[in-house]
Amino acid sequence: MERQGAEEHGRRRDRWVTAGLLSPPLAWLFVFFVLPVVFIAAYSVGSVHLFPTDGTFSFDDWHRFLTGGSPYMTLFWKSVRMSLTVSFTVVLLAYPIAYFLALCTRKRKYVLLLLIIVPFLTSYLLRVLAWKVILGESGVINSFLAWSGIRQQPIEWLLYSQFAVMLVLAYVWIPFVALPIFVSLDNVDRRLLEAAGDLGAGRWRAFTRVTLPMSAPGVAAAFIFVFIPTIGEFVTPLLVGGPSGYMYGNAVNDLFTRGLDWQSGSVLAMFMLLVIAALMAIFGRFVQVRSVTS
Amino acid sequence: MDPAASRGALFGLRAFFVILVAFLYIPILFLAVFSFNAGDPSFPLEGFTLDWYRKFLTNPSLLEALGRSAIVATVSSMLAVTLGVLCSYALVRRRFRAKPAVSSLVFSPLVIPYVVFGISLLVLFTAADKVLTNTFGLVIGLGLHAVVIGHVVVSLPYTILTIMPLLEGLSTSYEEAARDLGASTTQTFRRVTGPLLVPALVSAFLISFTLSFDEYAIASFLSGNSPTWPVYLFAQLRVPSQLPKLLAVSTVVLMVSVILVLIAEVGRRRSERRTGVASVM
Repeated sequence: MERQGAEEHGRRRDRWVTAGLLSPPLAWLFVFFVLPVVFIAAYSVGSVHLFPTDGTFSFDDWHRFLTGGSPYMTLFWKSVRMSLTVSFTVVLLAYPIAYFLALCTRKRKYVLLLLIIVPFLTSYLLRVLAWKVILGESGVINSFLAWSGIRQQPIEWLLYSQFAVMLVLAYVWIPFVALPIFVSLDNVDRRLLEAAGDLGAGRWRAFTRVTLPMSAPGVAAAFIFVFIPTIGEFVTPLLVGGPSGYMYGNAVNDLFTRGLDWQSGSVLAMFMLLVIAALMAIFGRFVQVRSVTS
Repeated sequence: MDPAASRGALFGLRAFFVILVAFLYIPILFLAVFSFNAGDPSFPLEGFTLDWYRKFLTNPSLLEALGRSAIVATVSSMLAVTLGVLCSYALVRRRFRAKPAVSSLVFSPLVIPYVVFGISLLVLFTAADKVLTNTFGLVIGLGLHAVVIGHVVVSLPYTILTIMPLLEGLSTSYEEAARDLGASTTQTFRRVTGPLLVPALVSAFLISFTLSFDEYAIASFLSGNSPTWPVYLFAQLRVPSQLPKLLAVSTVVLMVSVILVLIAEVGRRRSERRTGVASVM
């Protein structure tokens, strides 16, 4: 009887400890993350009234956006195409790097990994700026071409183009993408590969049957984690994109900072969030940010 | 025989690695080179100068912006690491039914585009101010506090991702031993788990610090009249004459961040060796 009481007491105390641990982070996220997103959702249908020009409750803005060929919708698909191209390229480039680091190096593994990651820890804006200096009309490439006499006219599409935006985005994201792939490959026990070899599998077969499937979660995570920030990107297009590199994120930014049409801006922002939520619902289980089922 | 790569494949991988490292570093190298160049940032170079460095050291608004970012990054990382430890400990060591829901909530800031999150907080602060002015005549306004709040949210998942693996790798037997020897839950955490976690806490702090110090999108919506370093930098980038001076600052910021990363990395390894966590992982 007494013992049962003690157990019951212990369990209750346990629950309080868990609640105590979780309430500060969860409270922070509710107030400063969930609530703001709810506000945007409400704003997009006119339920929040902040400025005299704000409309009343209606789905008109959503209707206009989703039907009748809104230019923003065209812009959205253009951004999706650009982000997909960047994500594929970056994953393809980062995979061999991660493979090399995880499975082909031993002692210097983390030093070399650091070498790849350090650029990511330096300023994003500065790395974009570096490309502006390289690609510009009188930039490194064009001034070199002119100096060496290969070409007198500067190549114009180098800067202020979709190409520039995608190149810079790929450059910026490679180090970050190498990381999750590296982690998943680092978990591959080399003895598994040796075992595959002993059982008669060649290296290629061992790669396609053992290594690649084991690294799939890392690859999926890497892909998602480039795709999402690049689809909402507006800084790189502003700096190197020009009119043809204008992306969906720029439209959201402009509606909030210049046009001051917060309601349409909220519609665009909410739509992007819904698309990402759908993506996560479909692919989220492959991503496995962390397997938290202890 | 190496099971991971044939000799030819290994050569190819190594060459690819070198090329990629060159691709990553050469653009940054150009920044550094042009920061010592007397003329515009283009070829041919016009001679060596330290003028840009002198100009940047005597520019108060630039130094102020750097200072603001240092403050924002320090405060937001400390908060993010604190919240991250609590959350990681609960997720790894405690049992509760809502665990899947909690973990998807804490990781969801990873998948929100910063532009969307930035405007969401902007709307929240504007709405809060409207309510506060109407009822109490108060204004919170935008500023560094708002940036800190936003940066804590986006750093939190990174701190958890850094701390959780170490906590998972840490055998519970240390904690059980401590408890068997009569330590309370708090004592166990303070004397055993906490010290073992120090390397992860340092990396977590470092990651959120660099994230915050460099973050533009959220800060651009929330910093109001006190621009952080990236917001200031971005505004200046539109003025071509400012470019060489900015290259000088960039070079300095870059060097400092690289040195910090290296120090943290060395520290992490040393403490790992001391506690023997590396062998547990």
